[in-house]
Amino acid sequence: MSDLAYLSIAKAAQRLRAGKLSPVAYVEALLDRIGRLDARFHAFIRTTPDLAMAAARQAERDIAAGNWRGPLHGIPFALKDIIDWSGLPTTAHSKVLADNVAVSDAVVSQRLRDAGAIMMGKLATHEFAIGGPSFDLPWPPAVNPWGGNHFPGGSSSGSGVALALGMVPAALGTDTGGSVRNPASMCSIVGMKPTYGLVSRRGVFPLANSLDHVGPMTRDVRDNALLLQVLAGHDGDDPGSAQVPIPDYAAGLEAGVEGLRIGLVRHFYTEDCDAHPEQIAALDQAAELLRSLGAGVRDLRLAPLEQYATATRIIIRCEAFAIHRQWLAMRPDDYGDLARQRILDGATVSAADYIDALRLRARLTRQTLAAFADIDVALTASNMDPTCPIEDAEACARLYPRQARQPFNITGQPALAMPAGFTRDGLPLSLQLIGHPFQEAMVYRVAEAYERATAWSERHPPGL
Amino acid sequence: MSKAELVQLAAAAGLPRLSDKHLDQLQKSLASARELADKLPKDLHWSEELSLTFRLPRPAVDMPKSEPQG
Repeated sequence: MSDLAYLSIAKAAQRLRAGKLSPVAYVEALLDRIGRLDARFHAFIRTTPDLAMAAARQAERDIAAGNWRGPLHGIPFALKDIIDWSGLPTTAHSKVLADNVAVSDAVVSQRLRDAGAIMMGKLATHEFAIGGPSFDLPWPPAVNPWGGNHFPGGSSSGSGVALALGMVPAALGTDTGGSVRNPASMCSIVGMKPTYGLVSRRGVFPLANSLDHVGPMTRDVRDNALLLQVLAGHDGDDPGSAQVPIPDYAAGLEAGVEGLRIGLVRHFYTEDCDAHPEQIAALDQAAELLRSLGAGVRDLRLAPLEQYATATRIIIRCEAFAIHRQWLAMRPDDYGDLARQRILDGATVSAADYIDALRLRARLTRQTLAAFADIDVALTASNMDPTCPIEDAEACARLYPRQARQPFNITGQPALAMPAGFTRDGLPLSLQLIGHPFQEAMVYRVAEAYERATAWSERHPPGL
Repeated sequence: MSKAELVQLAAAAGLPRLSDKHLDQLQKSLASARELADKLPKDLHWSEELSLTFRLPRPAVDMPKSEPQG
């Protein structure tokens, strides 16, 4: 295995800037790795080797000339295929958009291009970020290398798999009901759903506008902070975009957790949902570890998970159906079975129920933010279970609702999923950290302290 | 719900081309929607609503909006 496969963004940036690593050699090594592994794991819908090599040569010239643009300059990345890159198809992993070529970059794509990052290709997703894993689409579903033939979570499935396999050090995903954090949890990587409005969604195919977020996915916490730094910022043409100051997300990473107040939302995974015993143990051990590092950890009680899930599911159904109604009317057979079922679900919800779901969302948001008043960060589960074989449709369907991510799509708070160990069978376990709105830096600070103390992020799928 | 009623429901939702297989899916959707609606709290009040923020229009930026061609 090339030592470049699992090089972090932070370390690669140092070597690239110092001229000790050639962007061309870096890209060639990762393209070679993709070529060797992707026929088995299907992380990519399409790679863009010509674009990547041209960008790598340009980065090499620019850096050599002293025009280093920052930590993402010369760093390879890939995009979930609902995010536009000018001149490339954005398919949403669907026959419906198989021939849809983007005429411009999404704002996040433009930001990565401006930062000198190197586009490697478009990544597998659940169809339209809602239906998967599916075997009746034009491209196969991405497969999790942990376990060998397992479900990688979704909907940003290719992003999680590409990172876990060392194909790229950075990827973008989107998160409407947990779709950055689910593959992060199942693939043992780091995924951040930033505060609603922090990152522009313009040029990203929507699932449910009022819950949609774009998020950075990486293999460690520092890299995630570096990637968010490039993505965050106001966009006047995204109606949900916030005008807030953007801090230096990496500046406080090493400040530790001494004196911080952490709320442990234990009822999510022990009462509201009966999590897998090894997942419960991992979370309780994480709480104890943070306590041993000097944080004050106390129980935090929020509304029952089912209330958040009810509001989320109704809102997603209605907003997704509104987006897809015309295509579903004209071309229902062009959708895979799972996506069609989930989008059709929105045809049968009454307007009054949708309004009630919005009212419930307002209530839950108010209650949740009030509960956070006396803490800095909350700790809870992301997934309730380890992953399962991808061809076991019943098991995949059973895992889907057993999660604690939707509450923070409802409230819009920043929420990060990261590795928290492994089962006895070697499958990833995970945890979730949640902050106050626009306090991503505090979430990263706690995550970094935990990561340093455990080093789970340094483990990679064996034998590859 | 009978097939005729499902066809009528689909048409009312703007979906005139659903096959029998799709109508079976719509039947499942209907049951699921009822189940979800039953889980909504019964004490929600009209005074509870999301706050909406309106902005003055900004000058157009240089990036055109893309329109997927399905």
